[in-house]
Amino acid sequence: MTFVVPIGPQHPALKEPEFFRFEVKGEEIVDVDIHLGYAHRGIEEALSRRNYKHNIYLSERICGICNVVHTTTYCQAVEQLAGVEPPERAKYIRAIIMELERIHSHLLWLGIAAHQIGFNTLFMLAWRDREYVMDLREMISGGRVHSATNTIGGVRRDVKTEHVPTILHGLEKLEQSTKYYINLFGSDRTILARCTNLGVLSKKDAIKFCAVGPLARASDVKTDIRRDDPYGAYDALSFNVVIEREGDVWAKGMVRLREILESIRIVRQALKEMPGGPIRTRVSLQIPPNETVERTEAPRGELFYYIRSNGTDTPERVRVRTPTYGNFASMKSMFVGGTVAEIPIVMWSIDPCFGCNDRVTLVDSRTDKTRVVSFDELRRWRK
Amino acid sequence: MMEVVNFVINSLVFPGLLFASLVGLFYVGIDRKVTGHMQHRIGPPIWQEYLDVGKLLSKEDITPGAAQSFIFNIVPLVSLGAIVTVMLFLPVTSAQPALTSVADLIVIIYLLNIPAICVMLGGYSSGSPFGALGAGRHVVQLFSYEFVFILAIIAVVARVGSLSLGTVVDFQAQQGWLVLDWRLLPAVIAALIAAQGKLLRVPFDIPEAESEIVHGALTEYSGPKLAIWRLAYDIETIVVAGLLAALFFGGPTTYVIGGTQIPGIVDFLIKTLAIVLLATTLRNIMARLRIDQALKFYWSFAALLAIISLVLVLAVP
Repeated sequence: MTFVVPIGPQHPALKEPEFFRFEVKGEEIVDVDIHLGYAHRGIEEALSRRNYKHNIYLSERICGICNVVHTTTYCQAVEQLAGVEPPERAKYIRAIIMELERIHSHLLWLGIAAHQIGFNTLFMLAWRDREYVMDLREMISGGRVHSATNTIGGVRRDVKTEHVPTILHGLEKLEQSTKYYINLFGSDRTILARCTNLGVLSKKDAIKFCAVGPLARASDVKTDIRRDDPYGAYDALSFNVVIEREGDVWAKGMVRLREILESIRIVRQALKEMPGGPIRTRVSLQIPPNETVERTEAPRGELFYYIRSNGTDTPERVRVRTPTYGNFASMKSMFVGGTVAEIPIVMWSIDPCFGCNDRVTLVDSRTDKTRVVSFDELRRWRK
Repeated sequence: MMEVVNFVINSLVFPGLLFASLVGLFYVGIDRKVTGHMQHRIGPPIWQEYLDVGKLLSKEDITPGAAQSFIFNIVPLVSLGAIVTVMLFLPVTSAQPALTSVADLIVIIYLLNIPAICVMLGGYSSGSPFGALGAGRHVVQLFSYEFVFILAIIAVVARVGSLSLGTVVDFQAQQGWLVLDWRLLPAVIAALIAAQGKLLRVPFDIPEAESEIVHGALTEYSGPKLAIWRLAYDIETIVVAGLLAALFFGGPTTYVIGGTQIPGIVDFLIKTLAIVLLATTLRNIMARLRIDQALKFYWSFAALLAIISLVLVLAVP
């Protein structure tokens, strides 16, 4: 006999509303059904109603955690449409803030992952150390979370010379604690018992379901937009793409933790090699009709923006595909065959961000049923 | 007549309901505060547990439609009653408990299981999938730790040669604490591990893992009924600690320091607090296990410790 365990839309294991319908037999998961769309905010429509300047602030608010990478992608796409190149120094500042964001995102992941397996002490300690990087971000950009640094054609605030020693000192502390967490994550017996050999995504499945970001890298797929399709200053910066082979929850955590060390390396390098000069070029925002695609590596994986301009100061269409959306396809193969106790940690192992991900659902008001619409139907319906 | 008055005072005031709830809530408050400091945060004030239970008691009593049943409403009270009764069998002030019987250890083992069974009944009758899952996990967990716990107690009984807790305490007053007896050391460790599972503390808080199954069997409880559950849980903390103190750590002993006599109750409180703090430390340095891992751990490692101890006691004179 199977019965249904609803996880969501409201559930302590989820930080955001989304609905997962698990069919379980005792403790074993037989099937999982994912219903998206609970956090739909109509943000793409809003993006195509405001001008390019206003959209920076809107795209920043698509995701609270990875906001800088959203604005960077958006600004890079608009710069490409307008045919301007931001100054070199601006590219380096963007890279620094994006890497600090990656560190903060991965530490946040570690904290919540620890909470999901009932290790609340590690949760609190990881978030305590996350404060270092939040302070650095506040010092550089003025905001702990929303940095509002990016603008079309560069950045708004410079990294001051007197800030550099403080940043280096903060990175030192972060490096120390990250090394401690890597050691702990690899040796604590209860963590190993809860994280190894579950939620396994094989290399074949990772490629088949187009997994992105740390999820793919944990399954031995060497993919990283920073290396595959370099943008901004990443051409000039050297770093390793971290991969693990096992594909289980432990590997996904380890990839993230080791990426923190790589990010620290990148920030140090960027601070050292950062050229002088202006931080911003002026851009005329009457952009001729054109279209562009921009990809970046967000902390959670590949972030994708498509923008079409039409000659006015407002984009005609903006499409955002967040990494979480790219990773949903892999979820079923990670869950089926596992147990109920694994649900929270396996779900968290893809580092889901539902608020960023939800775009559209159609609800038939007569039957209250969610309807799947084909692309052709949708095109006809728009007309 | 006097006996009846005595019994009422014993069960309601000391060492029964009032004393047990005051100390139990206080200890859990200390536990929460220490946990906070271990996790590098301030933590709630020590009296927070009183406020929490008081707040829950003052709330509206709601029973969800699917859970309308006699069982759902009565089990919190049965559980509280059982656990307060154990308090009467524990040596709190001296070796002599408030209630005595020929074989009170058997009664204690029996009564200590009633809250777990009540939680299961409450979970299964709550009409919620989380409640059913939590209750199912509780059954498995009960079968894991109970065997170890009973084996550890049997080792003590074999050493002392009596099923009466008062005799065990008297025995230790003459021969020294049983924890200092090398043959019983594995049993002490096994009993501490079993207590961790009995009190649903990390790594064995599996039946109420909040990130997996909300609050397990108690998911549908709210208001005064939840307050009674909390009270029963908190009293269980001090009861289990008190039982361990009596079994292995000499129980309440009176000391004379500088001419003044320190009553046994002080010793009882110090020993139980030490055991609670040990359990707090354990729960803060580990992650939660899965239910199958917990079962395996209890039946292999912990049970082995208890059996070794029992064999040593029986074989080595």
